[in-house]
Amino acid sequence: MKKAIAWFDDRLPIFSYMKKNLVEFKEPKNLNWMWTFGSLAGIALVIQILSGVFLAMHYKPDVNLAFDSIQQIMRNVDGGWIIRNMHAVGASFFFAVVYLHIGRGMYYGSYKAPREVMWWMGIILFFLMMATAFMGYVLPWGQMSYWGAKVITNLFSVIPFVGEDVVVWLWGGFNVGDPTLNRFYALHYLVPFIIVGVVILHIWAVHHKHSNNPTGKTLKKKTDFVPFHPYYTAKDTVGLSVYLIIFCFMLFFMPDYLGHTDNYIPANPIQTPPHIVPEWYFLPFYAILRAIPIKEIGVIAMGISIAILFVLPWLDRSKVVSGRYRPIFKWMFLVFVLNFFVLGWVGSKPPEGIYVLISRISTAVYFSYYLLLPFISKFEKTKPEHETL
Amino acid sequence: MKKIIFTLAVSLVFSASAFASSGNEVEKQEWSFNKLTANWEKDKIKRGYTVATQVCINCHSFKYVSHRNLMEVGFSEVEAMAMAATMDTKINKPLLSALEPTDAKDSFGKIPPDLSVINKAREGGADYVYAILTGYPEEIPIDFEGANYNTAFAGHNIAMPAPLSEDLIEYEDGTPATIEQMAHDVAYFLQWTAEPELLKRKKLGTYVLVYLFIFAILAILVNRRIWARLKK
Repeated sequence: MKKAIAWFDDRLPIFSYMKKNLVEFKEPKNLNWMWTFGSLAGIALVIQILSGVFLAMHYKPDVNLAFDSIQQIMRNVDGGWIIRNMHAVGASFFFAVVYLHIGRGMYYGSYKAPREVMWWMGIILFFLMMATAFMGYVLPWGQMSYWGAKVITNLFSVIPFVGEDVVVWLWGGFNVGDPTLNRFYALHYLVPFIIVGVVILHIWAVHHKHSNNPTGKTLKKKTDFVPFHPYYTAKDTVGLSVYLIIFCFMLFFMPDYLGHTDNYIPANPIQTPPHIVPEWYFLPFYAILRAIPIKEIGVIAMGISIAILFVLPWLDRSKVVSGRYRPIFKWMFLVFVLNFFVLGWVGSKPPEGIYVLISRISTAVYFSYYLLLPFISKFEKTKPEHETL
Repeated sequence: MKKIIFTLAVSLVFSASAFASSGNEVEKQEWSFNKLTANWEKDKIKRGYTVATQVCINCHSFKYVSHRNLMEVGFSEVEAMAMAATMDTKINKPLLSALEPTDAKDSFGKIPPDLSVINKAREGGADYVYAILTGYPEEIPIDFEGANYNTAFAGHNIAMPAPLSEDLIEYEDGTPATIEQMAHDVAYFLQWTAEPELLKRKKLGTYVLVYLFIFAILAILVNRRIWARLKK
């Protein structure tokens, strides 16, 4: 067996490549638990793809059959309810770990030199994930699927001159309908594999310049590192087991908790739901969209609210990488995160009365983080960094 | 960092409760299917089925349910076939209402929704269905204008006339057919039609969680042992 592997590896070094990147790869030895969310995101992606492939064997992308086919999966396919709930709950958990992963990167300065390109790959992944999740939510063809699709695709109508044409082009008709559902299904199956590709680039970049670590220092000493296996495989397994406990609790005891009851009502183009809300993981950005009374500017603000992450490495001018040694940044970041929750909460509320005011204030707070960062990071007095681990 | 994590955890709990949306007040009932060890109770399903097939089906369909499904909750094939026969249908045929959608629209102003997954499609589930069915008061507010007054329905103006009345049907097992009894039985039945896997799911989930707890403990011990090598 060993000989055969060596023979194969000599011709296509896939085994030595895997050994180098998954076993011997050197990781800083001081990574804390916040560093487990990267591998968890990878596992969440695999769960989504596997459960998705099996769902695709039974799902029917047709406006007259889609809703029924989901019920068919839930009732008459062996283990269908597990696979379907796994996919629906899994999407939420994928976003949860990715948010934690991004938050960790923002706090410990993982976006800073020399990791800017790795950071970009991460933002591209986040965009691709949002597109995939959005299209996936349309597939059950419930009321929220339909009206969510309608609201989000309509955002493209703000594009000057060609907006209306772009929307018709996206729909494949003059309304959200059968062609829309069919192409969303095709793309929902395609984009995850593009995500896999970008994930490889993301990991490649991390391995090229090593992982950041809680001190943010560039580690040089050999003793500062440990091989990925068994140290981080063991640690990530602990992370995984805790993740699976929470995931399976939701999956088996409250699979519909994170969804919307209206999505168990078949799509009805002539009846608008009382208020249309996206899935929880889009709510903060949805709140920014609605906070601004002019639709065009709202759409632009929503786009910028994520795209601004691309320039974050240059907005933050502090020489110190880790938030651990930055007393003012630390509190700015805390306010930013708490405000993100406020945005999510207000995004779930109808856009009226006090909620409009709250959404405007927290939108302002959201952007002020990025606007203040260049100045604060320049003048902030940082604490001395630890030299050794 | 610890302080930040703590604040986040607190805010997470806070925001989770804030996300729970509010509608009309729906009183919580006791449901035996909420118990972890529960099985679908054949006699309750039978009573709920009686209400569903003698009252509800006059207007509403149950398109994902056939008599064969009753075999999953303790009915024998002979029983299920006999029940289908009394309704002039076949064991594999879905339970469909004879009311034409267009006729329904003429009489009630809207098409009555399919009830198969209604408990999942309404905030409050079985509690909501129970509240609607028992929500037709004898005295309606004088300033009410609309089709029918219902205490649980959003806006109170509901297209469905009061479907239940005292002794509307006769239960085979002799249970008195009060409005509350019928509402409870049919809401229970609808929970089953909405989530036939519900009780199986929770039982399997318990085993899965026990397994995962053991797995987590082992993973923690292995992890400690491996990292202890570094301290030597």
